[in-house]
Amino acid sequence: MSKQPIKHYSIEKKQARWGFFFTVPCLIFFAVFSFYPIISAFVTSLSDKQIMNRTSEFIGLENYKYLFTKSNGGFSLLNSMRATITFTLGTFIPMVVVSLIIAVFLMQLRKTRYRGFFQIGFYLPAVLSSVVAAAIWMIMFDPRGIVNQTTNALLNTAGKDYGWLVNSTMLQFSTMVVYFWKYIGYFVILFITGLATIPPTLYEAATVDGSGKWSNFWRITLPLLKPTVLLVSVMAMLQCLKTFSTQYMFVQGGTSRPPIDVITMNIYFTGIKHGKLGRASAMSIILFVIMLVLTVVQFKISDSDDVDY
Amino acid sequence: MNKFVGKITVAEALIWVILALVLCFTVLPILFMLVASVMDAKQILAMPFRWIPSREYFTTSDRTWLTNFHKAIFGNNNNPVFLRNIANSLIVASTVAVTTVILSALCGYGLAKFNFRGKNAIFMSIMATMMIPFEAIMIPLYIVTANLHMMNSYRGLIVPFLVTAFGVFQMRQYLLTFPAEFIDAARVDGLGEFRIFLSIVFPNCLPVISTLAILSFRNQWDNLLWPLLVSQSETMKTIPLYLSKFAEEKQTDEGAMMACALIASIPMFILFGALSKYFLGGAAVFESRKG
Repeated sequence: MSKQPIKHYSIEKKQARWGFFFTVPCLIFFAVFSFYPIISAFVTSLSDKQIMNRTSEFIGLENYKYLFTKSNGGFSLLNSMRATITFTLGTFIPMVVVSLIIAVFLMQLRKTRYRGFFQIGFYLPAVLSSVVAAAIWMIMFDPRGIVNQTTNALLNTAGKDYGWLVNSTMLQFSTMVVYFWKYIGYFVILFITGLATIPPTLYEAATVDGSGKWSNFWRITLPLLKPTVLLVSVMAMLQCLKTFSTQYMFVQGGTSRPPIDVITMNIYFTGIKHGKLGRASAMSIILFVIMLVLTVVQFKISDSDDVDY
Repeated sequence: MNKFVGKITVAEALIWVILALVLCFTVLPILFMLVASVMDAKQILAMPFRWIPSREYFTTSDRTWLTNFHKAIFGNNNNPVFLRNIANSLIVASTVAVTTVILSALCGYGLAKFNFRGKNAIFMSIMATMMIPFEAIMIPLYIVTANLHMMNSYRGLIVPFLVTAFGVFQMRQYLLTFPAEFIDAARVDGLGEFRIFLSIVFPNCLPVISTLAILSFRNQWDNLLWPLLVSQSETMKTIPLYLSKFAEEKQTDEGAMMACALIASIPMFILFGALSKYFLGGAAVFESRKG
């Protein structure tokens, strides 16, 4: 690429302008609806802004100090952080592992027709909205309901009430079950899409060389799928950190709030219900920082070696 | 040779059993909703639970199923606001799906197939927005929406979700492998850049477009938090809002609750039924194109 004719160069420049032009709508959108609000959230978090008051004063880090030391009317930030982190770890790890296994299994099916059948079946819960999912499970989690009956039958503990919606540990577990159930198919589809981009010729070559399915998985599928696994786990984790609907619906349906008072729910109640916009913004910023740190850590862990093919 | 085939069959049988168990886990709760929507609370919580509704659920004089569905739609005050809420959900979700697809394709194409100064910076900053959770910026967005007088309106519900960074990312990844020869050939033929995008690039993205459209539709269909902030009147509410209020007011009326959930799910099931073939067909296109 030493000497380009001048005319060709100008065409490239013109094309470059088009390329930039194509990205402009999205750029404007993200500037207005992502970057500006996050800066605004930070600024608001340093003020005592409330819904009812037109004016607000700069109070420095008072909101943060308050959140980490005071109980915030019985719904403290520390409890919310505990609830959120418990929920996230308990949900996203099983979800990524199980959906990857299911996706690999699905790819083993010989006929695409069967694969399609299962994919539809697994994806069905994702078609329902989260509130519908929570509503269904809330009824099934009733002490007399079908989940308790099934658990008793499986564990041979006739008549025992596991307190799915009452016991604070079980309540947290219940929200995880609902979330896992709802999103498993969605993540299976993401993995299937990733698996489908691996050239079948690689497997053919490996099989000709005498490699079995098991070693194919560890030596071809997993390394080549690593970018997808990374992307999907980051997504699943971030999605779990942002969980709201299931917990909100459970609380609306009458369960106790503290065990499942995830950060997003606390932001909603503090900011919108109680009108403390400044304090809620401080919580938002904390949520943002947690997500940022976890994302960076996960990228660092998984970014040791990239695969090209 | 025979032994080899036999081995595969055993492994396959195991895979089938596991997949079938997972299928039970994902499908049975939906079946439960279906069955429970025609029962009264006593039958829903009966031990043991009866999966097949007996005929008396339909023929007894109290007509449980009718009562359930009537309560679900008309609530207490005989006002079918639920139907309006379903329409709202459909309008918001489909608008967002369309804008997401178009804007992500545009941006993804620009990032994948052009070279311009600052391209990487733009790509990285768009990716960075994936780390800004909506939940963290909803308070400022709430203030902005109020200041723009978009509260309690479709604009307020739609505008913050016009496009997603994930959509841009998906489009870019897909288009990176799009053969440049097609684009160059079109340029030689004298097509304008925008025309090339519309008539050559966009139609060739159909698999990823359908995936993306379904995902964005689903996300908005699911959205509870933002409408909770923006929708103030009954008529501007979306399905998730209606349901959460229903759950609050009629906790003990499980049958009506499930009828409500079922009605709320019907439009989505129909849409999914129509699009899923395309969705799965899209996955197959991924395969053949790469292979």
